Amino acid sequence: MSAPSSTMAAPKSQADLIYELQVRAKRRFSIGVIISWIVMLAFLAFLFSGVRISLGSFSFKTIHLDQAFIRENIPFIARGVWVTIGISALSILLATILALLAALGRLSKFPPIYALCTFYVSLIRGTPLYLQIFFFFLALPQVGIILPGLWAGVIALGLNYGAYMSEIFRAGLSSVGKGQREAALAIGMTPGQTMSRIVIPQALRFAIPPTGNEFIAMLKDSALVSATGFVHELMWRATKVGRAQFHNLEALITAAVFYWVMTLVFSYFQNRLEARMSRGER
Amino acid sequence: MKKITVLISLIVMVAIVLTACGGNASKPKDMLAQINSRGYVIVSTDPNYAPQSSLNTQGKRPSTTKCPSDTLTTAEMQGFDVDVAAEIGKRLGVETCFATPSWDMITAGSWADKWDVSVGSMTITNTRAKMLAFTEPYYYYFAVVAIKINSGINTLADLSGKALCVAASTTYEDWLNGKLDLPAADTFAQPPANVTEVPLDTDQECAQSIKSGRTDFIGYVTANTVVDANIAAGFPVVQLDGPVYRESLAAAVDKSSSLPIDSFVSELNTIITAMHSDGTLTNLSMIWYQIDMTQAPK
Repeated sequence: MSAPSSTMAAPKSQADLIYELQVRAKRRFSIGVIISWIVMLAFLAFLFSGVRISLGSFSFKTIHLDQAFIRENIPFIARGVWVTIGISALSILLATILALLAALGRLSKFPPIYALCTFYVSLIRGTPLYLQIFFFFLALPQVGIILPGLWAGVIALGLNYGAYMSEIFRAGLSSVGKGQREAALAIGMTPGQTMSRIVIPQALRFAIPPTGNEFIAMLKDSALVSATGFVHELMWRATKVGRAQFHNLEALITAAVFYWVMTLVFSYFQNRLEARMSRGER
Repeated sequence: MKKITVLISLIVMVAIVLTACGGNASKPKDMLAQINSRGYVIVSTDPNYAPQSSLNTQGKRPSTTKCPSDTLTTAEMQGFDVDVAAEIGKRLGVETCFATPSWDMITAGSWADKWDVSVGSMTITNTRAKMLAFTEPYYYYFAVVAIKINSGINTLADLSGKALCVAASTTYEDWLNGKLDLPAADTFAQPPANVTEVPLDTDQECAQSIKSGRTDFIGYVTANTVVDANIAAGFPVVQLDGPVYRESLAAAVDKSSSLPIDSFVSELNTIITAMHSDGTLTNLSMIWYQIDMTQAPK
C-alpha cells in the first residue's frame, strides 16, 4: 500500500519478470543484429568506394567503380528484373508439376513408371544445368521443335529443378503417416482418392516452404539462360552493356545488387510462408 | 492412382509438344519467300562490340513491330552492322529484327532456322564457308595485335614466350594457331612462335582483363576498330606494329537451313553491290568509323 508507484497493479509475479527479461534480451539481440548488418553494409560500400588511403608508407586502395556508367545504365539493366522473375516463376511452376509426378511415380508398383521417374531424376541430376540449357536450345530444332529462347530456358530450368524437387515431394509424401492411408482405405476411398484427398494435401504443407527456397535459388540460376543470347534477362543485359561500353565490372555489380535485393524480398515472403504453413504444428 | 499419373504425364508431354509445334502450318518454297511472307528478316549480330553493334539502352521497342519477342528491333540496337542490316531489310521491303546469340554459335553454322542471316562483321574464311554461304564483302578492316603500354615489346618477334588473349571462335584465334585460311595476299604477318593462347568469351574480356590489372597475358589480337575504341576509352594499350592480316567482312547465311537459300543469297548480293555503288556503305562507314572502310583492296 505504501509503494510510491503510480500504478494500482499488483506487484509483478516472478514469471512476468522473467518474461519481460526475455523480451528485452530478444529485442537487444535483434537491435544488435540490425546494427551489425548496417556496419557490414557500410564496409561493403566502402570496399567499392574507390578511395585511396595512405598512412605513411602504408597505402590501401579500394575498388573503383564508374558511378556515371552505373547511373546511366541502371534503367536498362533493371528491365531484366521482370524477365528474370518471369522465367523463374514459369520454371518453378513446371518444376513443381514434374516433381510431384516424379515423386508419385516413385511410389508406383508398375516397373516402367518407377523406372521412368528414377531415370529422369538420375539423368538430370547427373549433368550440368548449363549443358541442359544448351541441349534444349540446340538439339530440339533437329527434331523440328523450334522453341523461342524463353521456352527453351524454362523447360531446361523446370526439368532440372523438377528432378531436385522430386526429393522434396517424396519426403513430403512419406511424411504422411501410414495410418492416414489405412484409415482412408478403411472408409472406402479408392487409392486415387486417398492420394488426392488425404496424402497430397498434407504432403504439400510439408513441401511448399522448401519450394519457396528452390524458387530463390532459381532466381540466380536463371542467369545461365542468358548464355544462349535469346533471353534478355538481368544477366544478359548486364554483360552486353558492360562489354560494349567497356565496364564489365560495373555492369555485373549492378546486376548483383538487383539479384541480392530480389533474394531479400523473396526470402522475406518465404519466411512468412514458412511461419504460416507451420502454424498447425505444435 | 497409376492411371492418373500416366494420364497427367501424357497430357503434359502432349501439351509441350503441341505448343512447340504450333504455327508451322504451311512451308514457303524458299527462304526469301518466307521472309517476304512474314514481313521481317531476322539478322544475327553480336552486340558485344561497339561501334560494330551494341545495344541502344535508350531505345524503345515500337509497339507496332512484327519482330518475335526474343529478338530486338532496330530501335534497340546501334552500330555500323546494325545500320547495314537495317538498310538491307529496307531494300528487301521487310522489317529488320535482331537475334543475339553468342558469337561462337553464329560461326558454327547449323542455326536451326533461328535466324536468317548474319550481318556481324564476319571474316570470310574457307573453313566457315563450308557451313555458311557468304555474300560479297560489305567492308574491310585489319587484324592487329594490341599490347599493354610500357611492356617493352616493340615487334611481333618480341612476343615469343609470352601469352596473348583472343576471343574464342574468331579468325584471331586461327591466326595465332597458324590455322588461318585466307588468301596469301591478305596475310601480312605470321604469328610469333612460341606464344601461349588464352581464349576468352569475347575480345572485350581480353581488353578489360588488362585494364583491371590482370597479368595472364600481355596483349590481345583483334580488329583495328576494336583497339581504336579501347584506346579511345582510355585503356592502357597500344597497337603493336602494323596490321597482321586483312579481313573481308560479309553477311552469311546458314547452308543447313531447312529452306533453299540461293535466291536469298543472290538477293543479298544485289543489295550489297547496290549499297556499295550508291555510296550508302561509305556514308555509314564515315558515320561510325570516321573513315571509309568499304573500298575493296586494289
